[in-house]
Amino acid sequence: MNKYFILILLIIFSQFSFTQEKTKIDLKYFFGDMRARHIGPALMSGRINDLENHPSNPRIIYAGTAGGGVWKSNDAGTTFNPIFDEYCQSIGAVSLDPNNPDKIIYVGTGETWTRNSVSIGDGLYKSTDGGNNWEKIGFEKSERISNIIINPSNSNEIYVGVLGALWSDSKERGVYKSIDGGVSWKKILYVNESTGCADLAIDPENPLVLYASMWEHRRTAWSFESGGKNSALYKSNDGGQSWKKIHKGFPKGNLGRLAISVAPSKTNILYTVIEAEKDSEKGLYRSEDHGESWNQLNNDFEITVRPFYFSKIVVDPKDHDVVVKAGLYGSISRDGGKTFKNLGNMHADIHDILFDIFDSDRMYFGTDGGVYRSWNGGVTCEITENLPLSQFYHISVDDEEPYNVYGGLQDNGSWYGPSSAIGGVRARHWKSIGPGDGFRVLKHPKKNIIYSEMQGAENVWRFDVDKSLIKTIEPLPEIGYPKLRFNWNTPMEISSFYPDRFYIGSQFLHKSEDMGDTWEIISPDLTTNDPRKQMQEDSGGLSADNSGAENHTTIFTIDESPLDPKIIWIGTDDGNIQLSRDGGKKWRDVTPKNKNLPKNTWVYHIEASYHNPGVAYAVFDGHTSGDMTPYAYKTDDYGKTWKNIIDKNEVTGFVRNIQEDYVNPNLLFLGTEFGLYITVDGGNKWTRFTNNMPPVAVHFIDLQKKTNDLVMGTHGRGVIIIDDISPLREIELTTLNKKLHFFQGKKTVMADKSDFVGSFGGETRFVGESSSSSAKIKYFLPKRHTFGKMTLEIQDSQGKIITSLNPGKSKGINIVDWGFTIRQPKVAKGKTLSRGGFTSPRVKEGTYNVIIKKGRDIFENKIELVYDSITGLSKIEREKKHAITMKLYDMTQELAYLVYELDLIISKLPPKSKVLKSLQELKETLVITKGDNYVGSVESQLREKMADLYSKVAESWDVPSNSELNNYEVIKKRFKQAKKTFEKLKSKVSIKDFSIDSYEKFLSK
Amino acid sequence: MKKSIQFLIILLFFALNSYSQSVDEIIENYYENTGGIDKWKELKGVKMLAKLNQQGMEIPIELIQMKGGKSMQIINFQGQSIKAQVFDGEVSWGINMMSQQPEKSDQETTDNLKLENNDFPDSFMDYKSKGYSAELIGKETFDGTETFKIKLTKEPKTIDGKKEDDITFYFFDTENYVPIAIQTMITQGPSKGMTMEITMSDYQEVEGLYFPFSQTQGIKDQPSLPLIIDSIELNPIIDENEFKFPEN
Repeated sequence: MNKYFILILLIIFSQFSFTQEKTKIDLKYFFGDMRARHIGPALMSGRINDLENHPSNPRIIYAGTAGGGVWKSNDAGTTFNPIFDEYCQSIGAVSLDPNNPDKIIYVGTGETWTRNSVSIGDGLYKSTDGGNNWEKIGFEKSERISNIIINPSNSNEIYVGVLGALWSDSKERGVYKSIDGGVSWKKILYVNESTGCADLAIDPENPLVLYASMWEHRRTAWSFESGGKNSALYKSNDGGQSWKKIHKGFPKGNLGRLAISVAPSKTNILYTVIEAEKDSEKGLYRSEDHGESWNQLNNDFEITVRPFYFSKIVVDPKDHDVVVKAGLYGSISRDGGKTFKNLGNMHADIHDILFDIFDSDRMYFGTDGGVYRSWNGGVTCEITENLPLSQFYHISVDDEEPYNVYGGLQDNGSWYGPSSAIGGVRARHWKSIGPGDGFRVLKHPKKNIIYSEMQGAENVWRFDVDKSLIKTIEPLPEIGYPKLRFNWNTPMEISSFYPDRFYIGSQFLHKSEDMGDTWEIISPDLTTNDPRKQMQEDSGGLSADNSGAENHTTIFTIDESPLDPKIIWIGTDDGNIQLSRDGGKKWRDVTPKNKNLPKNTWVYHIEASYHNPGVAYAVFDGHTSGDMTPYAYKTDDYGKTWKNIIDKNEVTGFVRNIQEDYVNPNLLFLGTEFGLYITVDGGNKWTRFTNNMPPVAVHFIDLQKKTNDLVMGTHGRGVIIIDDISPLREIELTTLNKKLHFFQGKKTVMADKSDFVGSFGGETRFVGESSSSSAKIKYFLPKRHTFGKMTLEIQDSQGKIITSLNPGKSKGINIVDWGFTIRQPKVAKGKTLSRGGFTSPRVKEGTYNVIIKKGRDIFENKIELVYDSITGLSKIEREKKHAITMKLYDMTQELAYLVYELDLIISKLPPKSKVLKSLQELKETLVITKGDNYVGSVESQLREKMADLYSKVAESWDVPSNSELNNYEVIKKRFKQAKKTFEKLKSKVSIKDFSIDSYEKFLSK
Repeated sequence: MKKSIQFLIILLFFALNSYSQSVDEIIENYYENTGGIDKWKELKGVKMLAKLNQQGMEIPIELIQMKGGKSMQIINFQGQSIKAQVFDGEVSWGINMMSQQPEKSDQETTDNLKLENNDFPDSFMDYKSKGYSAELIGKETFDGTETFKIKLTKEPKTIDGKKEDDITFYFFDTENYVPIAIQTMITQGPSKGMTMEITMSDYQEVEGLYFPFSQTQGIKDQPSLPLIIDSIELNPIIDENEFKFPEN
């Protein structure tokens, strides 16, 4: 019996898994017209890792950014374009082949300023066509590449400095060399699994001479260790075959991160910045004998500050005594490093400096807030305004129309701005809502109140937007409780049932019922409370670094179920998931015990389901222990059991966020270190979304309920939105097999809102793309339409064709915009163009038929348009406005036909004909027959007056005013008179074989 | 607007190119599948009547391209035919919309246009003898469709006094070998460095040759402008004087 049972089970199971395999839907080919749009912001930009210039064209500048890819400027930083959008966006180094700088570019991925929030790289890339196409040429597991140096006298000889893994041991570090242009590589300097190459330099006069700074370092989620006995500065005199330490004059004891720079104009002079055990021995050292011996010159704050973040020196290519040091503010020496003064005002945290190749007073700075440019040697600096590199930790949205996006940024405070604006989302649309590092920013659901915070909940602010009142409300230590431990990125949550209820997590869950005025702790310590992970005071290694960024054993995510406020899920940075089903009275540890999930893996986000109170999703991020595996789990029994929903071969990059669709529970969105992944079958198959979506780190995802827009907070490319993801809800096997499938659409409001754009500055400032308010015709094609005719027509409810649109032809999802208009009226031919004649009138609200003809097939669907209620117009008023608009539209076309007929008659008449003169006189009152389209214009005639009134009425949201109605009567009368005169004159003319197009034919041309 | 139409039209005609054996096979297949190379070589000119459709604004245009480089783009506004861009093989000119008078293009634009005099019916025709090179970059998915991505390099253009490579990427449908998209790096003006993209569909036959009757044009990853071709006339007879710059 048992045997049979097992057999049957096996059969069922094998069939089940077979069907499962078969039902996988790979979305790769189906995204079609679904496209991400980027709204920035760029006003605070984001962190820059490496700046690079062209060896002969001073206008060409490259910026390798911490999390936003590679950008190229052709105009000395005035504007930039991204050139690396299909690849890893975290950049360590960009280098051009000095012998072929327009074609050959190398990009080493993985940022090298190793702060807690740093992203990871995935290898070295090469382009041989100036950045159009890229090929990965190795170092897959390098995580961070610090330098790429091409031998100036032999382009095939390349040296690569690999800093390597930050969070774990790794053998893929050190200095590598290729002698065949990057085809093969040899490791030429290696110390051990925890020591990588932090900086590499070559002697430009003798390319056999190399200098390499090797740095022993390690980060964990709760500590940072810079320095050790293996950190050292090495030199090779033979192109990397042999190396020796060059420490004569160096401090004794362990060393940390060292920077190295050779003065290009006098290569015996070298500078290094040394992180050492004793503060008095840290600082800038100079060598005048090719590194054989060193002297300490300076240990000012700016020279020694945070070596892991600022260990970089750049020497003026023309003057060996001008030295610039990266730092909190950055500093410059003009006496060979003896004394320094700070650089001019710009965003703090300077990571790289670039001198113009011809004029050293022109400088560029890569900071935590974008690229700055100076024309006067760093005295005054200006930000370049079109690098949208903002690094969000978190975002949220509200319910306004258009909705706003709220979020906090690495080192750039907290902000909110509109998801869309007429004329584009501009810098001025963004409003600051907090300084410092910004994280979660939440809008009160009912009141005009915004909560924001800075690092470690040092401040949590409640901002009354209407009254401009700021109050700090973070929970403070209380009697009977230990010290509160807040994460760098402290979780905050608003109840979706009680708008004034507000949660904050330390190691405890804090709840307030009055918007943060009073707090109650409603949980025990929900973390592991492991004391070994609480020694942040000792963090930093040779240089103490206790910024709060390493605070650990804290709550990281809070989610109150959208179905029941008593169900609260908690995730901690040390791997716990805790659940309360009674509003915080009792807590149960429901951490998954799955064997593939390592213990204590950071719970990055919990998503309580919108469909079932027992269902939740949890994503785990192990990268801070060197584990880059994507983890996403689902429970459907309140956390008793968890099921893995990721095939790790399908998803690249560790996971930070998951979003469930509100309608289709099988539609899920995953934010990873390398972009956005989507599944339509509950995780059976994940596909990376690529339409205008770089593989940037997606830190947080939200789905706006009214618009179904997917809003992503990325750590390097600002806010990225995919408008209306609802078509994905209908992608299932049956959809894929249809000849054409229309997706459901909501009623479209014909928006009447408009605004003055004020587009000043848009030439050089980033302008975010807005959403379109057009009606959308959405359908699925199983195959791209390439051969034969395909048309899309809109019919009114009587079946009359009112306009045709250009149908989308893409395989997968097609989205066609219709701006609710029919084509502009045919306007009488004159000498000049009538401005009013370029207005297309809107149709009335109602249901319209969409007819797609494709070969012999005809597909029909309906689309519903409704008026915008914002205007307050009644149905009768709408009818009136539409009637007059169309009367003027028709009148304009009738006049066009009259002038056409009149022109035709004039052309047939003999020059001396009596009627000719009268006809010409008539024409001069109908259309402009002289002048030009600019300031040579002449007095308007009937056509201009009519078309101007038409466009005024058509473009207004309101019913025509009395003044417009009176004007309408004037024009109507004048047209009536003109027609009468024309008929009279026509009766005096007789032309043989006179042929003329009918009115209908004339209009159709 | 005028600029974008010009660009569209220039790209529209100077479409195709490549090296390596497999590239040549793709191009051969393309010609074979669209009417045969001999028939393409016999072609002396095309005239297209088309409509640009931009947010409800329908603009009729007329595009003429002759073997040898003569070309004309006429925009129709309010009954007026406006020669937006004309080239007689030597002089490039167009009507200024403000003054309504003809004006010559800058010399660099004209010189760059001259380089394309031998690109009829498209750049791939006899590309090797023209000194162009074509390279198969690989396969890429475009519009959900598998394509061959081919890079065509023509003679360098001069932009603001400097020589710039003239590189275009073509995406040939692997199933039927017709191009469904073209991408070009913009080398001048404020959009320099961005990628211009044209997509093509609705290939239909005209007297034995296949042309894409529907196209879109724009900056890659941004909204595009559709162009629908109503009719195509082969070997049209156009008065030579129509192409000449009207002196006085």
